[in-house]
Amino acid sequence: MHKKPVVVAVALVVLLMVVAASPLFAAGRAETAAVRDTLTIAIGAEPESLDPVKMTSAPAATVGEHVVERLIYMEEDGSLTPMLATSWEANADSTVWTFQIRRGVTFHDGAPLNAEAVRMNLARFVDPNVGAAYAFLLGSVQDIRATGEYTLQISLAQPFAPILSHLSHSFIGIVSPNQIRGLAADGTFENPIGTGPYVMERWRRGDSIRLRVNEDYWGATPQIPNLVFNFIPEESARIVALETGEADAIMAVPPQDVARLQADPNIDVVFQTSVRTIYISFNNIRDPFTDRRVRHALNYAVDKQAIVDSIFEGSGFVADAPVVDAVFGHTSVGPYQYNPARARQLLAEAGYPDGFSMTLHHPTGRYPLDATVAQAVQSMLAEVGVNARLETREWSSYLQFTAQPPAQAEYDTFMLGWGTVTLDSDYGLYALLHTRQWNPSGNNRGFYSNERVDELLDAARIETSPDRRRSMYHEAIQLIWDDAPWIFLYNAAQINAVRTDVQGLIHHPLENLSAWEASFR
Amino acid sequence: MYQYIARRLMLTIPVVFGVSIIVFSIIRLIPGDPARAIAGVNATPQFIEQVRVRYLLDQPLYVQYGRFLTDFMRGELGNSIFSGRPVTTEIGERFPRTLLLATVSLVIATMLGVTAGIVSATRRNSLFDNASMLVALVGVAAPVFWMALMLQLLFAVQLRILPATGIGTLRHIVLPSITLGTASAALMARITRSSMLDVLRQDFITTARAKGLNERLVVYKHALKNALIPVVTVLGLQFGILLGGAVLTETVFAWPGVGRLLVDAILRRDYPIVQGTVMLLALLFVLINLVVDIVYAFLDPRIHYQAGSGE
Repeated sequence: MHKKPVVVAVALVVLLMVVAASPLFAAGRAETAAVRDTLTIAIGAEPESLDPVKMTSAPAATVGEHVVERLIYMEEDGSLTPMLATSWEANADSTVWTFQIRRGVTFHDGAPLNAEAVRMNLARFVDPNVGAAYAFLLGSVQDIRATGEYTLQISLAQPFAPILSHLSHSFIGIVSPNQIRGLAADGTFENPIGTGPYVMERWRRGDSIRLRVNEDYWGATPQIPNLVFNFIPEESARIVALETGEADAIMAVPPQDVARLQADPNIDVVFQTSVRTIYISFNNIRDPFTDRRVRHALNYAVDKQAIVDSIFEGSGFVADAPVVDAVFGHTSVGPYQYNPARARQLLAEAGYPDGFSMTLHHPTGRYPLDATVAQAVQSMLAEVGVNARLETREWSSYLQFTAQPPAQAEYDTFMLGWGTVTLDSDYGLYALLHTRQWNPSGNNRGFYSNERVDELLDAARIETSPDRRRSMYHEAIQLIWDDAPWIFLYNAAQINAVRTDVQGLIHHPLENLSAWEASFR
Repeated sequence: MYQYIARRLMLTIPVVFGVSIIVFSIIRLIPGDPARAIAGVNATPQFIEQVRVRYLLDQPLYVQYGRFLTDFMRGELGNSIFSGRPVTTEIGERFPRTLLLATVSLVIATMLGVTAGIVSATRRNSLFDNASMLVALVGVAAPVFWMALMLQLLFAVQLRILPATGIGTLRHIVLPSITLGTASAALMARITRSSMLDVLRQDFITTARAKGLNERLVVYKHALKNALIPVVTVLGLQFGILLGGAVLTETVFAWPGVGRLLVDAILRRDYPIVQGTVMLLALLFVLINLVVDIVYAFLDPRIHYQAGSGE
């Protein structure tokens, strides 16, 4: 008599399972049609926007560059090749650049690409009322003018050598003039209309962005008709999605899961260098870090190779300069070989035979295994008598905490990363190490200052000869390395994973994953 | 009754007002600023200044709050600092998904929980009773995160019968709703059981039995209706919790609901989104409680709501 509720409950559960498993609802992502026409890439974060003036993150760049193109494209090796501009030249003192715009290109809405369309986009990007976060990339631009149907002229206030690599930045995309004409200064749009190999189809907020192939693409038309980016924030869920085939490729595999994925015969793990270097900066104007011997000692005390080998399972590289080796101007000047005896000796010479105590601030969860690295550094420093107290903060507070002006800066050392996304030393060195960039006017959070380095960085900004620029950066990098304003740690590797039946994905050092050359095996 | 409802609705105004002050100040008191959260290490001083001016962050707190309040009265919640889209659009897109997930979870929880609770109570100390209460204990205690991953491993990776992440089909809702509903089901089972046991011990049940009513009638007509009052309370509260507290489930299953929107917004210091979402959730919580109170009146004829009487 009382059995009924049990029976009902069991029946309901069974029914639920049956419904769930029934082919009636088999329209999910896991199922693949007979003809595969959709490539699915799972990424960890949703783009904030695909409007170029609103873009700030790597996920936005990865999705956006399939739809919207730039004047210049940066290849994986850092070389610059024509994209929407077919050629460019500068006047004698490199203050006026003339670009030939590609002919016969139309936007996804049918509008023709011409110099005026490009001008409108660039003008919007630098308009202070629009307030693009990355407007500083074109900071020295004085005037942008369409001098012919397909000729664009950019005038600079002063020569700015990295202008071309800056124009290749993913955020300086060119969208249809129809989309921005009449838009208010703070206006924005959701689905960009570009000239790229894929066209926006649907953005389901929080879930996915769906693109379809642009049949009229000016370049080689991609082979895969549909491209879907799924946003799966949780790392383990991203891996599950790849294992089940719900995703064909995933980005940002945690190093500790690499072995598990490598054991799966259907999955390839791809290691690619990244442009991001991770360092621990000293507060260079605070004792005892004003003493170069102390800074050297701490560099010798940290076993970078052990961090790369044991924490990152061998992915990543020990930093041998303040910028990664793909960057223009890089020269290999390091590393400080692990040598605790030398560290102790230097500390003794500096007057700290018994070491000292300091704080080490680090983010948690911002960079792969950042907190683990901080702990490893802590124990290595303890070996030479330096007692580092670890302090962490949530990312937004952390950024603000490390951005205080010199008098208010309350930190001894802090861990941070920097991606030189233009692959030019100017972007990596000027912002972080020039004296004019001290907090709060820039990103020199460790208050490093060296007059000669400042001179070189200033001169290299306006020098037009690549050879002379390169040698200026070589000299600056050597000086910075000898001054050791940071504990130079490692260059992060990016780890992606792809199902073996997909080929042709481009794993770009800029942390973009591009699918326009991809196909199914 | 209508007067009572009207009065209760009026009472939501001070509650929402209070919530608005709290959420408005707390989110601004924690360190960090939106411009830095958006542009990261690359944020230039110019950009930080621009964002501060555009979103009035350079103004004193009371000026900001006054502006927020007048906008709110007009139904204006402003734009997300992060995406530039209207807050109402952002929430409007995600709320239905959270509502769907919470509703399905609650249905599952109620069906399983109440059924198990009744059976356990009527067969106290039986094998079923002990087993289901043990399961309920585990269900309450098991971390949502662990539960979610185990379900994914079993049904998505091993058996391959359900998708692990995303939305779109009915199949997508199965794992998240079971994950989310489990703890509520367990809680509901325990409450139903103890409430039922209480009622079954009361005199009127003895009377009912004494006058020869059959046991089934006693349990389902006389006892159950009385035992359900605490269950309805918990049900209402659980619904509120499921709406606002599905953050972990939404994250693991990549379910794009309002919980994840809120957490992301807090991390990015996207003040307008945080304010809008918390206000919405607070309002819902108040309304759900009102509905629960009204349902009481139907369940228990002794409860009357009249103007002037206390609530």
